[in-house]
Amino acid sequence: MPRLGLENSRLLITGNGSYLADLEFEGCVDVCFVRSPFPNAEIARVRPPVGSGLSGAELGIRPLQLESRGLVSVPWDPIAIHRVRYVGESVAVVWGKDRYEAEDAVDATEVDYDRLPDGIPVHPEAPDDVLFSTTFDSGGFEEASSAAHAVIEGSFKAARQSALPIECRGVAASHDSASGVTTVWTSTQIPHLVRKGIALGLGVDEDLIRVLVPHVGGGFGVKAQVFAEEIALAALTRRINRPVRWIEDRWENLVASAHAHDTGVTMRVAVARDGTFLGVDADVVADVGAYSVWPFSASLEPATAAASLFGPYAIRAIKYRARGIASHRCPVGAHRGVGINAGVYATERMVDTIAHELNIDPFDIRRLNAIRTMPCTTAAGRELDSGDYLGLLDRLASASAYQELRRSQRQSRQEHRLVGVGIGFFNEHSGSGPSDYRRRGVTTISGEDSARVVVTHEGRLQIYTSAAEAGQGHAETYRALAGRELDIAPEMIDVFEGDTDACPKGTGTFASRGGVGVIEAVVQALRKVAQLDIAPGTDVTHVHEAKQLYPSGAHLAVVEVDADTFVPRVVRYVAIEDCGTILHADIVDEQVRGGIANGVGCALLEEHRYSAEGQILTASLLDYLVPLVADIPHVELHHLTNPSPGTTLGSKGVGEAGTIGAIAAVSNAVADAVFPLGVRLTALPYSPTRISDGMPEALPDR
Amino acid sequence: MELTLNVNGREWRGDVPGRLILADLLRDRLHLTGTHLGCEQGVCGACTVLVDGEAVRSCLMLALQADGCSIRTVESLAPDGQLSRIQAAFLRHRALQCGFCTPGFLMSITELLDSGQRYNREELAEMLSGNVCRCTGYEPILDAVLECQD
Ligand code: FES
Ligand code: FES
Repeated sequence: MPRLGLENSRLLITGNGSYLADLEFEGCVDVCFVRSPFPNAEIARVRPPVGSGLSGAELGIRPLQLESRGLVSVPWDPIAIHRVRYVGESVAVVWGKDRYEAEDAVDATEVDYDRLPDGIPVHPEAPDDVLFSTTFDSGGFEEASSAAHAVIEGSFKAARQSALPIECRGVAASHDSASGVTTVWTSTQIPHLVRKGIALGLGVDEDLIRVLVPHVGGGFGVKAQVFAEEIALAALTRRINRPVRWIEDRWENLVASAHAHDTGVTMRVAVARDGTFLGVDADVVADVGAYSVWPFSASLEPATAAASLFGPYAIRAIKYRARGIASHRCPVGAHRGVGINAGVYATERMVDTIAHELNIDPFDIRRLNAIRTMPCTTAAGRELDSGDYLGLLDRLASASAYQELRRSQRQSRQEHRLVGVGIGFFNEHSGSGPSDYRRRGVTTISGEDSARVVVTHEGRLQIYTSAAEAGQGHAETYRALAGRELDIAPEMIDVFEGDTDACPKGTGTFASRGGVGVIEAVVQALRKVAQLDIAPGTDVTHVHEAKQLYPSGAHLAVVEVDADTFVPRVVRYVAIEDCGTILHADIVDEQVRGGIANGVGCALLEEHRYSAEGQILTASLLDYLVPLVADIPHVELHHLTNPSPGTTLGSKGVGEAGTIGAIAAVSNAVADAVFPLGVRLTALPYSPTRISDGMPEALPDR
Repeated sequence: MELTLNVNGREWRGDVPGRLILADLLRDRLHLTGTHLGCEQGVCGACTVLVDGEAVRSCLMLALQADGCSIRTVESLAPDGQLSRIQAAFLRHRALQCGFCTPGFLMSITELLDSGQRYNREELAEMLSGNVCRCTGYEPILDAVLECQD
């Protein structure tokens, strides 16, 4: 929302928000996309109704392409012209005076497809379907494994999932032929990157595109991609010279926005007799779907998953290979924690597997192996600047009364109840900056964050940032901060986000940038304003080049699985989080709680499935299950606050921690609960079906 | 086809196509955009309104099916700017982040509160299983309802 007033929550609670679908435009037509019913076909002919539709070829958008290290560059036509590669990919755009007429125009569009056989590459540029590949080797794994007491293997799979904001996406666009400027309203987390993507697709200067972000009903990563529809609506309004709008429906959102995760990790871990981890050798394989998402590319999921393996543990040797494999499925993009979810999940399941095998308590083995000295550079090359990992674990043990929990678990087991305790211990990288993207060879994303602070002649303070609010409470955080820094009353402060004309350029909102680079830019700009005595007319912009920081946490879940139905239920949840200095206590708690709910869904319920023929089977919320009120436990939340020296205030970001910790803790708890049945769970979600499928053939008497 | 209904205390009369769903009538014709559409599949509850006092998914109901009915939307909860108890409790408990699910929750909860029945936490969790929130983790929403039952 360009202006985030003090009354924002009040607007939302009275039904007076302005989400994309609420905006009204004079003379606007409603747009629908004609989408492929086939996963793999050549487009022989597209005939949308004359005067109310255009094929991809007629729309004339330039293909977008990404280059970066380890990536096979493949062209992406936002509206497919020659070939479709997944069910739901658009082949034409049609319109009508309302949504109903636009849907009629979809029905009236004739498309001839020539089905392509299985077995040919998804992209000719990648004959083996590998779109991204990278390796890392610290050295020393072979020595570690030959000296080891044992080398233990495990393989774990994170499911294909959706970020699922309750508001789907939406785009509106209008063109002013006098100035040549096209204005695009979109429910995005990354306004400046969307502007860049549209400009590239249209082949025009970025100055001729203005991106505006209205109220956004949640993003959780899926709105941090540049989508075909954003480029297509900009192209269309220029073509037909009237305002256009498209409101994504849930079917489109589940089938054709972006999926997430779908990553498998196979590991060999060399361990000493006492449980010390000596070395890790991992193979990470992500199904990244049909295209490289723009601008993050097919590297997003596999690279972040691999980088987060064994993050909080002191190991001397690590090597991995990570690949992103193309498939005839929806492209994979960001979702709250991206590949860190899969990396931490696989690590923490592996740690429990090792503990079982060596007959060591899961808590003790974590404590034994946790990184003890800060700052440090890990074997994987991460520069950890702060944190107290033993402190996290010890606080978790005391807050949960861990020993007592285990005692009562033994008691429950004697009563044939399936009760499990699981720990999720992690660190995660937030706020990636220019040097981090350069290291990955990514050139499309600047990684900068910025803030502009203006003192008006009426003495009001205006804060403009490069972020984009989607419910995280940015404005509330900045107001509190400005109050502390400049002693200004909240009602004198106006906050603006999501307007590429008014706001300074930057990378947007994902990976907790709000708590890292954006807040740093705001702090620096506010301090310069203070030095200038808050004089009316002061206008200061600060651009910050952040570097990755590492929030950390330790979560514990107690799960009871119903012995008859195998339905798992989280009965207790304790979280210790360390996001450094807490910028706004309520907002930090909200982010962690909401993130945990999301993680419980990822661990127990959520999974996209495709048929053998490539048809998606989870195209509605009746099939793609999300957590409801009764699925989410009360969260006992505790904080450690080890400040990062990497930000002036010491904050590290908190948007993803809840989800990352919960997937690991809950999955370990379910696995622990059904362990006595002989069930070994490895593939998320840990649903009743997965549990009963995992039952050994001969069911022992329970 | 001719349709008459009462929305938030005002009579509305008009000609609507047979296929128009109630949510689109409210949003597009009456400009009551507080009623949100999150799925149009009857699951998320963002579109919940009260039809003759009963919580209904306005994405699954044709406008014509509401002929002669009284409808309440979120816009009716604070008619002269004075927030209703549940709205005020939502703000106090910070029961919204992005706010997209909020109108639907408020209408489902209004039905519960209007019934005069009191429910415990577990019962409420079951009764609110027709509304999905992806932001809050639900806890503050339950807290707000419990407070309003007191
Ligand atoms: S929009 Fe009606 S239930 Fe989701
Ligand atoms: S507040 Fe965002 S979905 Fe509930």
